[in-house]
Amino acid sequence: MNQTFEILGFLLIVLTLVMQWEINVQRIIALFSASSFVIALFLVLLGLSRPNEEYMLFILAGLTIVVRGITIPLVMNRALNRLNDKPWRVREAKPLLGVGGSILLSLVLIAIGYFIYQNSLYSVLKVKSGSVPFALFLQASLLIITHRHAYIQMIGFLVMENAVVMLSGWVFGGLPFIVEAGVILDLLGLVVVSSLIIRVREHSILKVGDTVESELRG
Amino acid sequence: MHQDIIYLLPIFFSLFGAVLCVLPVKYVDRVVSVIASALSLAVAIYLLFQPVYIDHYLYIDGLSKLLILTIALVYLSTVLYSLTYLKHIENLLFQHRLYYILLNIFVATMFFSVSMDNLGLIWVGIEATTVSSALLIATENNQVTIESAWRYVIIVSTGLVISLIAVTFIYGSAGTLSLHALLLHHPDNRVFLIGIMLGIVGFGTKAGIFPMHTWLPDVHGKAPAPVSAIFSAVLLPVALYAIARLIQVFPSETIKLFAFVLGILTVAVAALMMTVQTNYKRMFAYSSMENMGMILIGISLGGYGLLGAVIIIISHGLAKSSVFFLTGDVLSISHTTDMRKVNGLIQRLPRAASALFVAAMAVTGAPPFAIFVGELFIFAALIAQYGWLLALVVILFLAIAFISVNFKTGKMIFTGSENLKRERSRTETWVAIVNLALSFLIILLIPYFETLLKNLL
Repeated sequence: MNQTFEILGFLLIVLTLVMQWEINVQRIIALFSASSFVIALFLVLLGLSRPNEEYMLFILAGLTIVVRGITIPLVMNRALNRLNDKPWRVREAKPLLGVGGSILLSLVLIAIGYFIYQNSLYSVLKVKSGSVPFALFLQASLLIITHRHAYIQMIGFLVMENAVVMLSGWVFGGLPFIVEAGVILDLLGLVVVSSLIIRVREHSILKVGDTVESELRG
Repeated sequence: MHQDIIYLLPIFFSLFGAVLCVLPVKYVDRVVSVIASALSLAVAIYLLFQPVYIDHYLYIDGLSKLLILTIALVYLSTVLYSLTYLKHIENLLFQHRLYYILLNIFVATMFFSVSMDNLGLIWVGIEATTVSSALLIATENNQVTIESAWRYVIIVSTGLVISLIAVTFIYGSAGTLSLHALLLHHPDNRVFLIGIMLGIVGFGTKAGIFPMHTWLPDVHGKAPAPVSAIFSAVLLPVALYAIARLIQVFPSETIKLFAFVLGILTVAVAALMMTVQTNYKRMFAYSSMENMGMILIGISLGGYGLLGAVIIIISHGLAKSSVFFLTGDVLSISHTTDMRKVNGLIQRLPRAASALFVAAMAVTGAPPFAIFVGELFIFAALIAQYGWLLALVVILFLAIAFISVNFKTGKMIFTGSENLKRERSRTETWVAIVNLALSFLIILLIPYFETLLKNLL
């Protein structure tokens, strides 16, 4: 089973790497949806390997598909549609990293994640390839830092949350159901509120740019 | 009636208040919010005299009760202040009704966070405060407030993901997230230690602790006065409450030193940033950060340091909400937050200006206010554990903060030409004055706080 988890972890890292290269916001949302389905598959497999907790993990997988895989991308796409006449054309205007730079930096982050895990936690946890969620977390941080578009920053945050789900399930055996459910509900609320803020923000702030920056300095 | 229902009433009143605000009746949002907040305060006072209550979901000891009381006091004053203040905001992002719905939900999530026994649910509650409060920042619809709200969402949520990882680590190593179970028995290994440290950094983001504090001056500087007040007075301490619980669970020397260093750095950075501020709301935001740093130092020291921290939480909550209410009065007549363009307040708004002068002294720890007493307790513990030299360093930064805030506030109040027109005094100023008076009277209750906290000291 560990090998399957490794493949799923690798798949998530690749999906995040593609998000890093991609500049079209709608495609990034679709990639996030795909990564949420991978997380749900991971939870199902985890449930199959742990017969005592299988029902809770299956419910969690279902919630992940409904909230992270379908509802959140739907809310984001709807907000994008309301905001733009041609939503399929919305893109990151000035990505800070090109394809080459993002591959290089992602490899460095994977190495850092591995180094941190191997030197601080492996001796206690003894979970092989437990560094994958850490690498995913660092990649999500990179996604937030290197993009200015609010939706992509939001997706970076959601990928971080996916990394935590993977970390808690794979390395630590998962969190109590009530906490996981609370986290998912919080996430949904956050996306709805963020979509509202982004809508107003895109209407006003991006037109003035520097004025806002100068008022929020120091 | 089941006993636990009493402990849930503050959450219930504020949530029920939010639901009733939806009713399409004129002024129902305002009336319901006043009633809900008054009832919450009555219950919070009643809870002070009730025994400690711990079950599978609730953990309400002296610390929780004092936090519930502080939240309830600031809740009532914020609702009362908002009744008239919202009328002065010209470009509202949404209707008054939605403002009160969000405010009530926001308070309910804070009550929830300080009442839970489960660290995971405390995390859920604190993250829910972000969801419910983000739009409140943007009540006044302009580019800067919207950008502040967005920064708040993204920085605080990212920080809170770190504390979610912490929760995962703690559960992974201890097999439980229950506070009372962890207090009885916890593992002593590296995973648990890292979990607690990550928790301090993650929840510290929400509390405005260095180095994840950058959202704080933006939000406090740009949010409307009542929102800045409730953020500064109770939201930051609620996040510190989670840190206090983490340290209570695992009071190892490494953890205490880690929190202590973060506390000192927070005080230092805030004090230095205050000296260069030209926006009075941002300056008071850094003052909140400085006080949170002192509270963290007190929590890390434990014993009477913790008592000092709790005294500061309550008195700062009241005095700082008073300061932000009064900055609302100043803003409504000056239409600017640039302190270089504000002067002669003592002639234009004598009542509010006098109160602001005293409130600025109170939040910077001038005697005889309770913050001063809280700081004395912290310094006593600090000197006992780390000696005079470190205490002098902290005193130096506090002195810088004290001079910056009071000099700049004094300049706005007392300088200016003599022929300035006196403005009509505002009813809501009395809310600030009552909070200021309460922040002084807190001093009389310190022996009772000590009794309430005796299991932690």
